[in-house]
Amino acid sequence: MSSIRRFLIFGALAVLTLFSFIAALRGYQSSMEEAETLFDAQLLDLSRLVANLETTPATRDLRLGNNLAFQVWEHDRLGSASHQAPTTPITSRVQGFEFANFGGFRWRTYTRHDEGHDRWIMVAERSDLRFLLAENIVLETVLPILLGIPVTGLLIWWVVSKGLRPLEQLSEDLQHKPAHDLTPLAASTAPRELKPVVRAINGLIGRLGAALEREKRLSADAAHELRTPIAALKVQLHNLSREIDVHSDSFQQLEEGVDRMGHLMEQLTALYRTSPEQFSEHRVQLDLYALAQETVAYWYPLFQAKGQTLELVGAPAQIRGDPFALDTLLANLISNASKYTPAHGHVQVSVKTLPGGVVELLVQDDGPGIDAAEHSRIFERFYRADHAIEGVPGCGLGLTIVQHVAELHQATVTVGSSSFKTGAAFRVVFPAEGRA
Amino acid sequence: MFLDSVLLILQEILEAALLLSVLLAVNLQLGAQVSEARQLGGLWYAAAICCGILGAAAFAWAMPTITGWFNDVGQEVTNAGMHFVIIACLYVHCRLLRKKADSERMRSLGAGLTLITVIALAITREGSEIFLYLRGISGGPSGVTSAVLGAGVACGIGVSTGILLYFGLLSLSRRAALRVGLALLSLFAGNMAAQAVQLLIQADWIPYSAPLWDTSGVLQEYTITGQLLYALVGYEATPSLIQVSSYLGAMLLIASTPLFRQHWWSGKISA
Repeated sequence: MSSIRRFLIFGALAVLTLFSFIAALRGYQSSMEEAETLFDAQLLDLSRLVANLETTPATRDLRLGNNLAFQVWEHDRLGSASHQAPTTPITSRVQGFEFANFGGFRWRTYTRHDEGHDRWIMVAERSDLRFLLAENIVLETVLPILLGIPVTGLLIWWVVSKGLRPLEQLSEDLQHKPAHDLTPLAASTAPRELKPVVRAINGLIGRLGAALEREKRLSADAAHELRTPIAALKVQLHNLSREIDVHSDSFQQLEEGVDRMGHLMEQLTALYRTSPEQFSEHRVQLDLYALAQETVAYWYPLFQAKGQTLELVGAPAQIRGDPFALDTLLANLISNASKYTPAHGHVQVSVKTLPGGVVELLVQDDGPGIDAAEHSRIFERFYRADHAIEGVPGCGLGLTIVQHVAELHQATVTVGSSSFKTGAAFRVVFPAEGRA
Repeated sequence: MFLDSVLLILQEILEAALLLSVLLAVNLQLGAQVSEARQLGGLWYAAAICCGILGAAAFAWAMPTITGWFNDVGQEVTNAGMHFVIIACLYVHCRLLRKKADSERMRSLGAGLTLITVIALAITREGSEIFLYLRGISGGPSGVTSAVLGAGVACGIGVSTGILLYFGLLSLSRRAALRVGLALLSLFAGNMAAQAVQLLIQADWIPYSAPLWDTSGVLQEYTITGQLLYALVGYEATPSLIQVSSYLGAMLLIASTPLFRQHWWSGKISA
């Protein structure tokens, strides 16, 4: 079932239509039978009336309505008759109801034997006219049922829409609930049928909150507990470098391992701090271009060491944002670009204000680029693109942090191809001031 | 007039409505996990219904000319031809739906075109009779109101039955729905073949033969139950040997498709 609303409206309307129309048909049939009985009773009365007529010249060609005819046969002689009656007997001389054809029409007939005067009285009524009359009367009762269906359809639509409103409201509440809002939904206002659903969702929210709290404690504890030993390791490594050959493979791998561990700790801490549930923002009015200048200056030695070109273009652009979080975003994008761009490659950072007041930050490189099939996955935690794994250190958290920071600023982050011959371009678009 | 109108139009509406419901339910069940397939399916059905209504109007309009074909049996022969095309398209459609009903399959032009053809021709065939009847009534001296009321009641009953059959099939498990749906499609094919043969007998293209049995004492064709069974399984009180043979032949044709075998005999259903 693709839609509950459609199912309820069309299902209810179909059941109602089917049964009311079939009932109308049954009603039509029984009403027509009743009408036949009534008309027959009238015909019987007419035959009694005719039986009281005295045969005179005036009754030889009596004018009745077009739908009625009668004959009075005295032995083999036609005594009285209506103007429409033929000169031959309308029907056979057998008492009771029959059908007969004369005058170009089909007639319902009744024959009675008047034993007192030894006469045969035959009365007839046009079948088609009495059928039409009966049908017109009966159809008057069918018409409202037929006309009522569209009105009923509208009422069913209104009732179903009203009935589904709490469900839609719940769906809207869940959709518009901010990612960091873990307060339970109001169960008291929900209808009885939705209360178990609301309770289940609240239970889920509660468990999610507890899990996040545990994760928060774990991250904070891990960061705190590991920072000191890693710092100590670095000091010991520095001391060790004076005693042994620093160019040996073992020492190099040890140094790289400690650096990687330190980086992972920093990234984990940044991820935790920038997650929507944990972030306590301190937004200020700032110039994104100036911030980018600082970050570029900080990272410049790394680029220089690899013989890469790092270029900043653009113009001052004002946004409201958190300087710490935005610095983390820039640092991740710029260091990522350096990592995946070969030696002597080119990285360009651009900040500009676009028409409409939105501010665009673009970081592009001339590295190998990212396959389109991977665009949707690279922002996932710990996901690393296939080409990134070979020989490039990293933990797969950088772009997740970028996305967190972008979301915190109601900005969108997308990946595409760079304007160089090859390479990737990360575009972060911040909303115009006043809309953020 | 009212009851005649109900019975005549109900016969035409029911057949098209039930065929449409079963095809819709079977296709939806086959592509239940593919949202694009549903959207595409909706477009195909809307196009098929529109083509059918336009075709019915055009066919009714051209009926005087068509009747003159084949020594004045053009109407019977053309109608019979439409029935055979419907059976052929139903067969091809079932074959095209055989494999996994993924988005590629549902999008396949062949399945869509055969679907359009089956539904459009069924509506053309049944709808043209309604157009002709209503045109005949509107030119008559009386009974227009009761005929129109009868048409309305028949439409209501026919469309409601179709909707309930559709929801009924969707409320079954996927396996049961496909089994029932495919069995109904094979019965529809049998019904179409038997009707086509009957039309060709009327046109004297096939010699008349005596009825194999007579069940009119038990259930007459011109009752609401008779009409419902006629539309659903092609009930006929006095069928001839050739009608029964063609009925069974068309049924077996649909039953021989891999899709039917897959859901009725193998016991395995792939998504």
